[in-house]
Amino acid sequence: MSNSYDPITLEIIQNSLQAAADEMFAALRRTAMSAIIYEVLDMGTGITDRHGELAGSGAGIPAFVGVLDKTVKHTLKKFSQPGEIEPGDIFITNDPYHGGVTHLNDMVLTMPVFVEGEIVAWTANIAHWNDVGGMVPGSMSTNATEIFQEGMIYPGVKLISKGKPIQSVFEILTANCRMPDFLTGDLWAGVASVRVGERRILEIVNKYGRDVFLYALEDYMNYGEQVSLNALKQLPKGIFSLEEEQDSGQIYKVTVEITDDEFIVDLRDNPDQDPGPFNMSADDTTVGCQMVFKNVTSPGRIANGGTFRPLKVLLRHGSVFHPKHPAASGIYYEIGIRLHDLIMRCLAEHMPDRIPAGGFASICGTLFGGIHPDTGRNYAVIEPELGGWGGSPTGDGMPGQFSAFHGETYNCPAEVAEARYGVTVDYLSFHDDDGGAGLYRGGKGVRIDYRIRSDNAWLTAAYTRSKVLPWSLKGGQDGSPNYILIRRANGAKERYSVISGLTLMTDDVIQVNTATGAGWGDPKQRDLDLVREDLKNGYISIEQANRYYGLDERSS
Amino acid sequence: MIRVATDIGGTFTDLVAVTADGKVSTAKSHTTPGQFEQGVMDVIESNQIKPSEFAFFVHGTTIVINAITEKKGAKTALITSEGFRDVLEIGRGNRPDYFNLEYKKPIPFVTRYLRREVSGRINYKGAEVKTLDLSNLDAILDDFRAEKVEAIAICLLNSYANSAHEAALLNQVNLMWPEVAVVASYQITREWREYERTNTVVMSAYVQPITHRYLDDLTERLNKEGMTCAPYIMQSNCGIDTVKNARQIPITMVESGPASGVWGAAVLGNLINESEVIALDIGGTTAKCGLITGGQVKLNTDYLIGRTDVFAGYPVIVPVVDLVEIGQGGGSIAWVDEFQRMHVGPQSAGAQPGPTSYGFGGTEATTTDANLALGCINPHYFCGGTLEADMKAVENTLEVLSSKLAISKQEVARGIVRLANNNMVNAIKLISVNRGHDPRDFTLIAFGGGGGMHACALAKELGIKKVVIPNLSGVFSAWGMLLSDLRRDYLQTQIVELSTPETAQRLSDTFAALEETAYQEYEAEDIPRSRVHFLRYGRLRYQNQEHSTEINLPGGAIANSQMDDILEYFHANYEREYTYRLDAPVELVTYHLIAIAKVDKLKPEKLPRSKKKVKDAVKGQRKVDYLDAGIHQSTLYNGALLAPGMSLVGPAIIEEAETTVVIPPTMLCQVDEYRNYQIVTAPQGGTHE
Repeated sequence: MSNSYDPITLEIIQNSLQAAADEMFAALRRTAMSAIIYEVLDMGTGITDRHGELAGSGAGIPAFVGVLDKTVKHTLKKFSQPGEIEPGDIFITNDPYHGGVTHLNDMVLTMPVFVEGEIVAWTANIAHWNDVGGMVPGSMSTNATEIFQEGMIYPGVKLISKGKPIQSVFEILTANCRMPDFLTGDLWAGVASVRVGERRILEIVNKYGRDVFLYALEDYMNYGEQVSLNALKQLPKGIFSLEEEQDSGQIYKVTVEITDDEFIVDLRDNPDQDPGPFNMSADDTTVGCQMVFKNVTSPGRIANGGTFRPLKVLLRHGSVFHPKHPAASGIYYEIGIRLHDLIMRCLAEHMPDRIPAGGFASICGTLFGGIHPDTGRNYAVIEPELGGWGGSPTGDGMPGQFSAFHGETYNCPAEVAEARYGVTVDYLSFHDDDGGAGLYRGGKGVRIDYRIRSDNAWLTAAYTRSKVLPWSLKGGQDGSPNYILIRRANGAKERYSVISGLTLMTDDVIQVNTATGAGWGDPKQRDLDLVREDLKNGYISIEQANRYYGLDERSS
Repeated sequence: MIRVATDIGGTFTDLVAVTADGKVSTAKSHTTPGQFEQGVMDVIESNQIKPSEFAFFVHGTTIVINAITEKKGAKTALITSEGFRDVLEIGRGNRPDYFNLEYKKPIPFVTRYLRREVSGRINYKGAEVKTLDLSNLDAILDDFRAEKVEAIAICLLNSYANSAHEAALLNQVNLMWPEVAVVASYQITREWREYERTNTVVMSAYVQPITHRYLDDLTERLNKEGMTCAPYIMQSNCGIDTVKNARQIPITMVESGPASGVWGAAVLGNLINESEVIALDIGGTTAKCGLITGGQVKLNTDYLIGRTDVFAGYPVIVPVVDLVEIGQGGGSIAWVDEFQRMHVGPQSAGAQPGPTSYGFGGTEATTTDANLALGCINPHYFCGGTLEADMKAVENTLEVLSSKLAISKQEVARGIVRLANNNMVNAIKLISVNRGHDPRDFTLIAFGGGGGMHACALAKELGIKKVVIPNLSGVFSAWGMLLSDLRRDYLQTQIVELSTPETAQRLSDTFAALEETAYQEYEAEDIPRSRVHFLRYGRLRYQNQEHSTEINLPGGAIANSQMDDILEYFHANYEREYTYRLDAPVELVTYHLIAIAKVDKLKPEKLPRSKKKVKDAVKGQRKVDYLDAGIHQSTLYNGALLAPGMSLVGPAIIEEAETTVVIPPTMLCQVDEYRNYQIVTAPQGGTHE
């Protein structure tokens, strides 16, 4: 192919791909029926080139960027014979072992875009479905021991053939779901979204021509690679390793090798796969590594197949980061955030001047439910929690934010929670747990008190960073722990980090305390005016001011 | 007697004046930051009119948004419910710049030690569950005084359901410290979501002292010069309001400039029988677009100040016209990154130094410079003939980019405009396609200095069949203000299940109560009930969903027999917006009452057809580069000589003092009876699609 194309045209095509991915995102969000899709934005959309390399993504959360290209590649591999993929086809998968990447609740649709009988691109989307069958409502169970218990598996099958729905597949889908109406609605939202993407790509190809379109994609990948390589040059070179104890007592290990043109993450020396659902697929482990790579090289919005070319990930089959079929993976996300934090920490110790100290770094997935005391209807809360981020070389850590895995995720306002769930929110502010002192402080963690107003409510949660605290850098103080304190109506207190099906009665309080992030740098070096202001603002107590920041001795 | 509108923008303060016999005049003068009222007096003077002649005066100002973006408001404190002092700092926890681990979230406008709590609690149903305890208020106010606090915001949990605690607290603060500026959330909105409501009341308190000073100074100066009418202030909800009300809740002025532009487009659409309109305002630094469907401007109450792709922004939940705004305007700078890729904006050369062609020392190529190089703008009739464009400087800056990109200067200039157009096309898609509308079903009304320059190219790209460049497009926002009525929006969150027998009665009662409140508030300002009429809306949703859709509700007493129609209307509207309907219970989430008080506003009148010929308006010929449509020798028209009934065909350029209209080959431009340019983009029956 010629490289004499007008550079402005190439750039306009590339911008248009991003606009198309955003439009697919808007279409999916607008038409989905489940709140977890349109409200929590547990969804993503993407466009790949004809080989399945990511070309553009419209995502609400970074953890879904880099998922869809893997699905397309699996589809291309599985349907490799001529005539197996035809114009108007749409494929469906949720199988982490076959291009589904995350867990069975996340359904991925892919659609080829044909021009004159040849594929020029793919459109795809992923969305969390409320229920895909399995042993418990909602399909995710902390007690699952094999993937068959987590729902119905769709291992990359054709859903729509040449534009015509395959009725038998639709019937299998709805028959294996506890909420078939929602499933049907969400499924058609996904179909509409990939079709919108197809239409936009065809418009671009019609306007500029097939050859210039294909070249624009290739050029875009090379651009992505060049951005990464330039950024890679700025990083310290060498081989960096870290071993870290987990709350469970297991040791996770990582070695990162950075050269002028490669970034190799070696995760082979890690524990065997978990007997329960705390595993993540090889594909998703790669996604986690891609996120770190993006974070430390070029955190801008452009992320395409070229961006990740310098990245290599080494895994051991049978480990927690590359489990053997049929290991369960329902709670993959908490392993994912641990992996992300592990690699960041490994790098941070060798380049503390460019990386923030550890934050609360947990999804803090919290599920509780019961009977709404005023309406008598069942309610169920499924939410991640806000926590403190670590201090960084550029300033104090952010207080009260969702984890690095989240992006455009919004918390539930207390006023909405009180009406919708019939609980009382007694408190939603920062807590004063000790931790996070530094030249740059860790951001404050959040305390939320949910007072239960009816008997026989239940609570399930899986938090990490509850025993092993957020890690400090350059002489800062570690952060505080993530935990749940149950304050019973009779005054008794119980503390948890992982709990399944705990029973709660009227006036029991679920007190969520998320970690304050760790500090960066020696707190005794912190500007005294800032220390006094922190004290005045109540971010630190007078004891902390004196003990960690040396306020009294430095003032005299 | 004269009707006058003045609109303060970032660079210019605009004026439109209309005499009793319909004679229109316009003026522009420089905006005078720090003392905005001076710019207003200047522009009045430059138009050679006197405040003593004013029969009607309406004013739009950027003072609120400027004070916020430049952080020049008052030292503000917050009193909130026990256990919730950090809500303002926590926000909603979202992070649009999602790969960036050094993201900095919005810094609250009230620092933590000035956020104080009082005990007492209302539940979500509006019942008091813990009495309000103000025993610590004295100490709180003492602290605030010691800290030289100038404004106090009050927001208590669940006050949307029952404002009694907030009202009691507000009353007490007023008694104990009458001099301080204070505002409670219930005075602004009764919608739920504590972070958004708290931030809204904080923002309003933050700008209250500065707005009071400004409005009082302006009114005083105008009165001193003999103005006898009561001035009106433009609001973000496309209505105007009295100075008294604007003083109380200044935050409602936050996007009044763009609102009046979109409102003007809606009124104009109504005049020329176009009910489906995309309004596009291209200025010096930004382009803004809004949507009008069924003749109605779309408003939202989820506006975010400062929101970008990389910043969460500050929520303000007053009704604001639904807008998409991007950093693309005439002054947007073209630049080349380290990978030899060219970008346009969002940085702007602004008013100083301005585009290179101004010759005021600008050294970077802007969209305006590129339009000069392409022949779209006349260098000898630049800025209405007040400047000779510095084409040598333009050549030089294009040369710099040309050598970086290894393409010709002409290609650089084309590239700049193509990228700018591409950015604007994507913005229009955001407001239309991404909200479920097909732009091909709309007419594009484009205004602002750059509207006429880009509109036809954008329309072609989007498949839009008709473009309208309004008469007075350079001061269109000010014109829109002359056509507004007094408008106040009352929002009240209250969840009502719509299937119970008492529902109709409850809806009637609540609306009647809201209407009575509106009547009384207008009456307190001597606006009689006879001038007030209401529009009722409800935000309905399927039980437990978050999406709601706002539908029109009947006026007067609502009967049980009407409920089925209301529900069906909801199902149909929901289905149109979200593509499906559910067999699930429906609930009302928020009442929305619009109270409009008619004012004696301008009635645009048709102009007579001219006996002159269109060729009398021809002022020459010039080569113009129309990008995709090629380079063509084009006819230049003097816009001042074009009159109703005339028509012309592209390739053509219409030059006016405040704007240039670029009409690509084959497009047909007709001057309508209001002197608008109506351009048919594919007169031969669809060269695109």
